[in-house]
Amino acid sequence: MTSVSMRRVDEVPDKELLARHAQGDPHAFAELVHRHRDRMWAVALRTLGDPEEAADALQDACLSAFRAADRFRGDAAVTTWLHRIVVNACLDRVRRKSVRPATPMGDDATFDAVAPKMPDPTDAHGVSLDVHSALGQLPFEQRAALILVDMMGYSVDDAAQVMEVPPGTIKSRCARGRARLAPLLGHHRNRREPKNVGGVEGGGMPK
Amino acid sequence: MNPAHLDYDVLADLAEGLLEDDQAASVSAHLDTCADCRDLSADLTDVSRILAEAPAPSMPAELADRIDTAIAAESLNTAAVVSLEERRGRRHWRILSAAAAAVVVLGGGAAVGTIALDNTNGEQGSASAPPQDNARSGITGSQQESGGMAPNAAPAPAFAVARSGTDYRAGTLAAQVGQVVAGNQKLSAADAPDTRLRDCVLGLAGERKPVLVDQAEYEGNPATVIAVPGDTPGKLNVWVVGPECSAQNQHVLKNIKNA
Repeated sequence: MTSVSMRRVDEVPDKELLARHAQGDPHAFAELVHRHRDRMWAVALRTLGDPEEAADALQDACLSAFRAADRFRGDAAVTTWLHRIVVNACLDRVRRKSVRPATPMGDDATFDAVAPKMPDPTDAHGVSLDVHSALGQLPFEQRAALILVDMMGYSVDDAAQVMEVPPGTIKSRCARGRARLAPLLGHHRNRREPKNVGGVEGGGMPK
Repeated sequence: MNPAHLDYDVLADLAEGLLEDDQAASVSAHLDTCADCRDLSADLTDVSRILAEAPAPSMPAELADRIDTAIAAESLNTAAVVSLEERRGRRHWRILSAAAAAVVVLGGGAAVGTIALDNTNGEQGSASAPPQDNARSGITGSQQESGGMAPNAAPAPAFAVARSGTDYRAGTLAAQVGQVVAGNQKLSAADAPDTRLRDCVLGLAGERKPVLVDQAEYEGNPATVIAVPGDTPGKLNVWVVGPECSAQNQHVLKNIKNA
């Protein structure tokens, strides 16, 4: 219905898509969301724990980003900016609705794969308390930091940009979160050789 | 039991490089001699590994559809406004007949016969003027809503829709349109056009502003009669379209040029 014709969007950089969107291209933003929606969903779902809350938060985030695109500053990656909006949308929901992330909904197949409702202590993978429930034990800030760094593979600096805190704060939140998760996830897992322990990296993800 | 036993917090801080140098040195020295604390440190490493290995969920298809729909709805609003602004900016209005200018207002159901051309929407390159200026300068009361420019509606239609009640006939179509446009027939206001009708009309009218969009009857069946200025002053191009008219399929039942 518009006079703006469909354009080819393959290979267009994220920032260019966002610029097109800000100039009125009605297809550019949808393409941007398509590119990144699985990772945005993973962040929202893991952060909130509840698929319905996560879905609402993600929709809020997408529309917020749609409307705020002209305020995007080019000094960060578009994905960083998008994830910041997602994390903030999740935080809004936590504050408004007192979400209880430790309560699984249990009707979502993809979620069940992450968080079995009845974890088996003799599970071959050695996860004694499922990741989802364990994350639900953490304060929001620690949970979000660990999701970004340990689960999504963000560098500490990138996670700091997403959460708009200094890198040292991300390190501290990750350290606190891991210390709290360790006893929760601590049974029936493969031991590494003790000689590797001293110099081990905390992040655990290839950067 | 080692009295200097370490806890997860200290070990996690060590791993992140958050300890002061001297504390880091003593913790490391302790780890060299304490298998229990090495186990704890390994627990922390496992935490990161377990988190990293947790399968990433894909967005459920229903949610993907829902978000696509929400974005499309948002795009539609934005695009409609942008598109309308573009249309306003592009339009150069040639001289309309006085009758046509009146009908732009009559379309909303109010008989105001003295509208100067530059008070109607978009003419004379006045696209940059705020809509309120048009409204103040001659059109009063609720009539301003029907002048083809609805200041508060988003997206605003570029025309109003009339319901003249005319049963147009093929043989007399031109004369009937002429009568309605000339204001010889009482019009009753219809609603603002919905998106489909607006797209239909704008698709047919192109750059020309409709002087009449009449939801009436044609040969006894519901139809919409659309008239825009013809190629010479005082002449009209007329389309009769079925109720299903959309941008994609206009269902043109009858078309007359320069009637």
